[in-house]
Amino acid sequence: MDLILEYQSQLIDGTLMTIKLALTSLVIALLFGLLGAWAKLSSSRLARRVAGAYTTIVRGIPDLVLILLVFYGGQVTLNNIGVMTGLWGYVEVSQFAAGACTIGVIFGAYFTETFRGAIMAIPPGQIEAGISCGMSRSLIFRHIIWPQMVRYALPGFTNNWLVQLKTTALVSVIGLQDLVYNAFTAGRSTGQLFTFMAAAFVIYLALTGISDLALRALERHYSRGVVRAR
Amino acid sequence: MSEPAALKIDDLHKSFGSHKVIKGVSMEAQKGEVIAILGASGSGKSTFLRCINLLETPNSGDIYLAGEKMRMTKNRHGDTVPEDIRQVERMRARLAMVFQGFNLWSHMTVMENVLEGPLYVQKTPKAEAREKAKALLAKVGLSDRADYYPAHLSGGQQQRVAIARALAMDPDVMLFDEPTSALDPELVGEVLGVMRDLADEGRTMLVVTHEMGFARDISTKTVFLHKGEVCEEGPPAQLFANPQTPEFQAFLSRMN
Repeated sequence: MDLILEYQSQLIDGTLMTIKLALTSLVIALLFGLLGAWAKLSSSRLARRVAGAYTTIVRGIPDLVLILLVFYGGQVTLNNIGVMTGLWGYVEVSQFAAGACTIGVIFGAYFTETFRGAIMAIPPGQIEAGISCGMSRSLIFRHIIWPQMVRYALPGFTNNWLVQLKTTALVSVIGLQDLVYNAFTAGRSTGQLFTFMAAAFVIYLALTGISDLALRALERHYSRGVVRAR
Repeated sequence: MSEPAALKIDDLHKSFGSHKVIKGVSMEAQKGEVIAILGASGSGKSTFLRCINLLETPNSGDIYLAGEKMRMTKNRHGDTVPEDIRQVERMRARLAMVFQGFNLWSHMTVMENVLEGPLYVQKTPKAEAREKAKALLAKVGLSDRADYYPAHLSGGQQQRVAIARALAMDPDVMLFDEPTSALDPELVGEVLGVMRDLADEGRTMLVVTHEMGFARDISTKTVFLHKGEVCEEGPPAQLFANPQTPEFQAFLSRMN
């Protein structure tokens, strides 16, 4: 316990980094997810193909491979493009940017499917009722599709978010000082790996537990008008 | 010059792929007329109704609402599309539709369902819209259900809410797409009762229905569609007493 108190600032910094990375990549994932779901349900064949390729490729590759690929390959590629076009000089891809973008893009593919399923679960008649009242597309989206889509998407969203939060641990391999990285470093330097991994265990469990509670409250809020079988 | 028809449809055609569903149907409803549209399943009667507010886009034909033509054009693939979606939205707001499956918004209360159109499409002031919504719910006999969600209502009650929602838009013409077909037999009467009141107060209505009694007693004109064409039309008394075509005769004998 004393050891943990001694290293508490590392653990707190690591936890904050993990939260920051998880939330940043969540925003990116939500954007990609909404865009992907829109593209998959679009009447444009090109949009459907692009979105299809995106989800097939991204969901078919291990997260770790993509993270390493983007971090090590991305920097080289960006600099090569810079040299070729002469638009920019040397750039360095930060570990945080590489991690957040990669995790965001990966989970965007899962969110694409979550949102697509949620939109398809809305009875089309309710959208027709909106159309026939003279509602504009944006009004239909905001008042009819969005509130119901959120409800249908929440169980899948919760799943994705919990996995995503834990996936951020992978960025420790590219040297980002997140919770795992700091706990592992502290554990090795003190020779008390078990103690520090147990601390990480508890902190992750607390983060996922809080998320679960918050999302359950959200689910109650968005379940207005729903009758459950008893 | 006389007043233009409340609704006029001129030579409407609609195909799904190579399948021709509506083959040149024209119809005119004067203000206050109630037109019952009959036909066997597959006769195109629902598709015809859905073409009027462009839930389905007709391949050709003109739609006039109180003399205003719905402007259509061709896109680069040669499909017929609205020239101005704003105009279509404005005209849809004057053409309320009641569906077979009610289609109430399940995440909104009865009151919110009725308020949605007036508040957000017509931008009616809140207090005024609320007063009117209350009056409409009273009219369809559901004042005590304003704060219920659709899932807590019977089919007949849901359909009456849907009618109140349609009336809230103060429509020039009301389109009913088999409004009683999804209801248990004992609930049909309450919905037909509300529709009868609307006819009595002079609402212009197009009603696709299987209720022969409603067509015979309430409509001012009955139209029988067969394979996407108007097969017979006229005052119901005359049509039902003296069906001219073998198709309509066969239809009537199947329905009785």
